[in-house]
Amino acid sequence: MTALERRGSLPPSLAALRPRRVELGLIFLIAVVVVAAYGLASLGQSASVPANIGPFLAWMLGLFFFVHLAVRRFAPAADPVIVPMALLLNGLGYVMIARLGGDVDGGGDLAGLQSVWTAVGIGLFVATLILIPRARMLAQYRYLFGLGGIALLALPLVPGVGIELNGARIWVSLGPVNFQPGEFAKIALAIFFASYLVDAGELIKNRLELRDLVPIGAAWAASVGVMVLERDLGSSMLLFALFVVMMWMASGRTMFLGLGAAMFVAGGVVAFQLFSHVERRIDAWLNPWADPQDSGFQIIQATYSMAEGGLTGTGLGRGEPDRVPFAETDFIFAALGEELGLAGTAAVLMAFLVLIGSGLRIAIRATRPFETLLAVGLTTLVAVQAFIIMGGVVRLIPLTGITLPFVSYGGSALVSNYIVLALLVRLSHEQRVAAAKEPTP
Amino acid sequence: MTARIRRLGAVFILLYAVLFVQLNRVQFVDAEDYRTHEGNIRPQLRAFGQERGDIITADGVVVAFSIPVEDSTIEFRRSYPTGERFAHVVGFQSFNQGAFGLEREYNDQLAGERLDQQFESLKDLFVDRDTTGTVVMTMRDDVQQAAQEALGERRGSVVAIDPTTGGIVAMWTYPSFDPNPLAGLDGTLVNETYSALLDDPDDPLLAKAYREVFFPGSTFKLVTAAAAIDTADISLTNPVWPQANVYSPLPSGSDLRNFGGSTCGGDLREALRVSCNTTFAEIGAEWVGPDGMVRTAENFGFNAAVPIDLPNAARSNFPVDYGARLADVDHYRAAEDAEGDGPFLPNGDTPIHENSAILAQTSIGQNDVKATPLQMAMVAGAIANGGRMMEPHVVSEVRSSDGDVYDTVEPSLWRVATSPLAADLLQEAMINVAENGTARNLAVPGLVVGGKTGTAQLGTDPPNSHAWIVGFAGRPGEDAELAVAVIVEAQPGASEQTGGAVAAPIARAVIEAYFNG
Repeated sequence: MTALERRGSLPPSLAALRPRRVELGLIFLIAVVVVAAYGLASLGQSASVPANIGPFLAWMLGLFFFVHLAVRRFAPAADPVIVPMALLLNGLGYVMIARLGGDVDGGGDLAGLQSVWTAVGIGLFVATLILIPRARMLAQYRYLFGLGGIALLALPLVPGVGIELNGARIWVSLGPVNFQPGEFAKIALAIFFASYLVDAGELIKNRLELRDLVPIGAAWAASVGVMVLERDLGSSMLLFALFVVMMWMASGRTMFLGLGAAMFVAGGVVAFQLFSHVERRIDAWLNPWADPQDSGFQIIQATYSMAEGGLTGTGLGRGEPDRVPFAETDFIFAALGEELGLAGTAAVLMAFLVLIGSGLRIAIRATRPFETLLAVGLTTLVAVQAFIIMGGVVRLIPLTGITLPFVSYGGSALVSNYIVLALLVRLSHEQRVAAAKEPTP
Repeated sequence: MTARIRRLGAVFILLYAVLFVQLNRVQFVDAEDYRTHEGNIRPQLRAFGQERGDIITADGVVVAFSIPVEDSTIEFRRSYPTGERFAHVVGFQSFNQGAFGLEREYNDQLAGERLDQQFESLKDLFVDRDTTGTVVMTMRDDVQQAAQEALGERRGSVVAIDPTTGGIVAMWTYPSFDPNPLAGLDGTLVNETYSALLDDPDDPLLAKAYREVFFPGSTFKLVTAAAAIDTADISLTNPVWPQANVYSPLPSGSDLRNFGGSTCGGDLREALRVSCNTTFAEIGAEWVGPDGMVRTAENFGFNAAVPIDLPNAARSNFPVDYGARLADVDHYRAAEDAEGDGPFLPNGDTPIHENSAILAQTSIGQNDVKATPLQMAMVAGAIANGGRMMEPHVVSEVRSSDGDVYDTVEPSLWRVATSPLAADLLQEAMINVAENGTARNLAVPGLVVGGKTGTAQLGTDPPNSHAWIVGFAGRPGEDAELAVAVIVEAQPGASEQTGGAVAAPIARAVIEAYFNG
């Protein structure tokens, strides 16, 4: 670590912006919002201030402050809005999960577990910042990430390890730990695509040779193929989007977008023919009221839930979002829509847009192609995943079960998103330090 | 690459903008459609499944309460422990058919959705389950039970009302229905039960006591008598009409006779005692006239919506159109008077109209005069209360679950039905009817009781009629505390004795239950 990167020794032009002070202010504001929401949700439900509001406040402020200190120590120049936006989404999601009061099969409540996952996620966020002082070093392990990503994707298919749940085989049970390896595979694949395309992209740009496309084609085929085998359409769409965007980004050939779209449509048609559940999803999207008690049930209940919320919502704890199946996970956006209204859902959209904007700004300003591509890839992961599930819940696109980043309940998803966040923070720090060092023209 | 990243950013912004537009559709533009969507059971579940307050009688009997439902998306259902006894008043809350009776009229208070209930404390700003209201009725279970038992399995209605407040003490109609199956959770069963009740020719769902009108027969003579005193200077003792068995209406029309062809007459007190048709026909048509009769009937609440705190009350009817004015009575009767056949006629200038013959009929409660049993109880009540007719109501107050009173129904005057003088005289006359006349079966030892019978003939082959009685009762030396009306529908026979024989004992049972309770 150079002296410049250490705390208090930012380049003067950057230090004047006081990015960490801005971040601390935002974090404090968000802490107030989340604690208020937590208290209101409890008041709305039981007319009592939660008994644990003190410990909750302390725990949350502790976690938030810990994140802030870690960024201040290990990436002091980073963009000050990325982390607060993630914490806001995480906090709102946690309040809703706690308010829904669901229990885990086999004991324990979801909210308690989610708070543990948040702590683990923040822990891994800090660990990532520490372990990866320079994003570039990731590129050295490109094939490790590529193979690792595919292995993680395939893991749920391994007999005795994978578990099928709710029709999708995306879970892995290793001893006492259950997790969704796909959530981590997407990061590994984004890193692999970024580093591979830095070189291959130049080649593809000039002359397209099949040979250059083999590794990346294999990665794509494996990811999509595995996803189809695991019947996880949401993740499949996400990886596909990641792949197409990064190919286009690296090569500059718009052809890849067209090709990607064509392949996507073709894949969709094949899937529609091959898999009854794809057909069901499409039918439920086009007209859920044709089968209101079965295939259309979830989306109809989500629609009623959000309509109930209207402009300003029923108020936290005052609605009935538990009438929607999977309200803590896939449909948490509907639950927020019911109790916080259009105002709340619009706020969530804005938070994601701010995150996406920051991510793309990092990509634009990054000095080297690998960092640019990685920033684009990671941002695309967050942007597309959030769009797929929110679009599905509001019936803009067919519904596919996938978590809303930072908001939904789910350990693997939350932890992996904090890793994505850490990488973006790392990239931001590097880019801003580099930019500050350049003489102003 | 920068240009492509910007384009990617534009694509993301576009996607999220479309998402935002769709959100606006779901949550704002089309939200109302979705909220009231046919398949959206949220509103029904919310109304049906939430806890509601109790409905209790004035003597503390719980007639409706919420019981928790296990293992269902519906949290509570209603239970009606008194079954059919209060079904017509309390109504029921059903998932498929909506709410009826007090369950409908006091829905907000029972559910605790009124602003004063919601915002009693800051705590209530967030939760509504502690705000459910208890609705306290003016009705008494013991009196209602007496009405139910005394009427037995005869179609009819019993209404007992506190004339000083308008508070309804009992209101029973047979046949009634058990509301419990209609509040059930099995929608199919509820619908079947409801349809079966709708198809029943006796119409058990209909609270006839206040939602159905009947020919009031001779009980209506009380209104005619009040009109006579208020508008035609008639007293209980003057004039004295000659004994007659037939009344020939002016300007023309078929003769009108007394029950069984009997002969009667005398002063107003005597005419009321024996319920003399011929005398009252003449009083209405030739002494009071159309204006006075219509005005008095309307003062007594006919032709108006009754301001009761229950849904769909029926309007009692008194015909208002008697055609064009022709000439004064003495134009027609002068010759008779000159011959000295008639009495002294201060009514010489009463106008005769084209349809005064019909007025003669309506004056004795025939033709198209129709009244609810509630209306007739209010007629007796107005006479017992110095001419002041109070707004009828079945609810006295709404309390919070802690027993604090949110709302009290204050007694409120509906109309001045008649003058205090007429009320006094008619009280006296009605007491006479109960002591010496057709309503002797109404008398209760130790109480001051007044009454008037009625027999509204429906047909002659075989003869059958509605048996009526209206009356009031009080302790000696005090104001009357209770006014009653009883109708027993379509009883065999058609004599003026029918009302006294059939209906009076029922009214007496109600009076006894009230004063002994």
